[in-house]
Amino acid sequence: MADIANENKYPDDGYSQDLFVLKEDAADITIDENFASQSFWKEVRAQFLKKKSAVFGLIAIIIITLLAIFGPGMNSYSYSDQDLSQKNLAPRVAWLEGLGIFDGSETISTTSGSKTTNGYEDSGLSDVYYWFGSDTFGRDIWTRTWSGARVSLIIAVAAALIDMIIGMSYGLISGFFGGKVDMVMQRILEVSNGIPRLVIVTLLLLVLSPGILTIVFALMLTEWIGMSRIARAEMLKLKEREFVLASRTLGAGSFFIIFKEVLPNIIGPIITQVMFSIPTAIFTEAFLSFVGLGIPVPQCSLGSLISEGFNSFTTHPYQIVPPIIVMALLMLSFNLVADGLREALDPKFKEM
Amino acid sequence: MRKYVLKRVLTAVFTLLVILLVLFILMQLMPGSPFNDEKLTDDQLQLLYEKYGLDKPIIVQFFNYVKNMFTGDFGVSYKISKNTPIAQLIASRLPISIGIGFMAVFIGALIGLILGIVAAIWHDTILDTIATIISVIGVSVPSYVFALALSFEFGFTLGWFPMLYSNSAQLSSSILPSVSLSMFTMASIARFTRSEMMEVMDSEYMLLAESKGLSGRALILRHALRNALIPIVTVLAPLIVDLMTGSLVVEKIFSIPGVGSLLVNAIQSNDYNVVISLSFIYSAMYIVIMLVVDILYGIIDPRIRLAKEDG
Repeated sequence: MADIANENKYPDDGYSQDLFVLKEDAADITIDENFASQSFWKEVRAQFLKKKSAVFGLIAIIIITLLAIFGPGMNSYSYSDQDLSQKNLAPRVAWLEGLGIFDGSETISTTSGSKTTNGYEDSGLSDVYYWFGSDTFGRDIWTRTWSGARVSLIIAVAAALIDMIIGMSYGLISGFFGGKVDMVMQRILEVSNGIPRLVIVTLLLLVLSPGILTIVFALMLTEWIGMSRIARAEMLKLKEREFVLASRTLGAGSFFIIFKEVLPNIIGPIITQVMFSIPTAIFTEAFLSFVGLGIPVPQCSLGSLISEGFNSFTTHPYQIVPPIIVMALLMLSFNLVADGLREALDPKFKEM
Repeated sequence: MRKYVLKRVLTAVFTLLVILLVLFILMQLMPGSPFNDEKLTDDQLQLLYEKYGLDKPIIVQFFNYVKNMFTGDFGVSYKISKNTPIAQLIASRLPISIGIGFMAVFIGALIGLILGIVAAIWHDTILDTIATIISVIGVSVPSYVFALALSFEFGFTLGWFPMLYSNSAQLSSSILPSVSLSMFTMASIARFTRSEMMEVMDSEYMLLAESKGLSGRALILRHALRNALIPIVTVLAPLIVDLMTGSLVVEKIFSIPGVGSLLVNAIQSNDYNVVISLSFIYSAMYIVIMLVVDILYGIIDPRIRLAKEDG
């Protein structure tokens, strides 16, 4: 009926309905004919590189990642090798010991005063070097710190990516369809946001056995909400724009519009949010390990290393220092990079 | 306004019921029955089930459970301290945790506000940079790292404050835990205050106030800060909630006998009853705080209320 009505509407234009074909979900309707988007990313990169703190953060992340990959293989120890005859040795590095630092001596303060000892000399270990020292079981702290950093990074990145996928899809779908769908989805979100994260994580870990997968799952259940809010807000902004209308006119389906048309345009805020959620994930993992719900021994993460070092941190403070510094540096760097990205992507944004 | 408050209260109550349902299901799934004495005959078991209402339909049991939770009847602890009512365990610990949490919020909010105002007034100077560095570090470094550092430096090396909490010196032994807990609150509030103050100071009514001849303290305090404070109320709520998580670890480090360390102990010794009761208390506190802040915010700033009523 509608087709006939349209044909009769403009009798003289010489066009007929069958000259037109709906392109539907064809890939070429998303091709951007002008190159504005390219220069946008160029601008973002320039803005980002101009901010010193963000560049510092990026470099620190790269260095820590490289060390997390290659660090454990740089000496002959493995993260689970125990040698009880070589326990609690202070850091000792080959070239630096001549300078009087990192020579394996430590000052132990007791109630009767402090004394300096050198565990290497006392046990006659002249050619043994623990770069960060060894722990109470005689394990190499250098190897354990970097394998711990590896585990923490894997957990954080995996959790952040899964949250991104879930939160993004939820927010985009909720924002795009609006109306009743949006109403129901937002009420569900409000209720799940009303449950404290701490409670969700503890209950989950009561039921499941501790391990990398459980921690990722716990983070997945709790961290998607922020992401979905951002995705929904962006979708509400963009769905009235002309390019969405154009795509719809050409016959594209809802899911095509959501994921092929709108998604590439909101990738900036989403990446920023991912960068912000990585330090949260690192922190949550460390917190869980500290409480005793983390990675099972002898595997380690930054959190479990800190928790182990805590038991002897007044007598052998060097044992807790490397994991703390690595974790603080990682969280700081991801925050700095996220801040820099946010400013680069949105020049109007005013934040410190 | 009434409609908005009603909607928020309903959502809060519904959320609490969902949490209770989850907790109830978990309790049912936990292994073991409360009466696992082999000497009991079937008839005796039947009597016991009747006595505790366990023979009733599951829905009736659920509502009994809800009633018990709200009246503070949380059952008894099985492992941490045998057969002690959980309400009693919690009652002695909750005030300590709340006291330290309150002190942390107070320190954090006060110093955060000062840092933010200083950074905004003298922005792009060395003071601003220092405030920025402090707040970036405060946001990035977890509270228990501060706790360890502070307890090592001021507790162990310098010996200014006690390293562990003691009931005889409550004030001096809660300073280090409160300060380490407050760092995140302080940093977030400093960041937020700065950006809000900058925005307010750019606004036209500030220009008007300035052109009327107002200057100095009156301008900053009466005009800028009051308007900048409104959004800060909203960040305070999630921050208070974050304190709950932070307190778990900080209480462990300083061995504070609060609810946080009770929860950690309960988790580590698999005392399900205690974990579930504390989960309920944490959730209830969280929901009430969020509700109060949302309603307060609606009263302070009508724009929010109107926008939410539309949506």
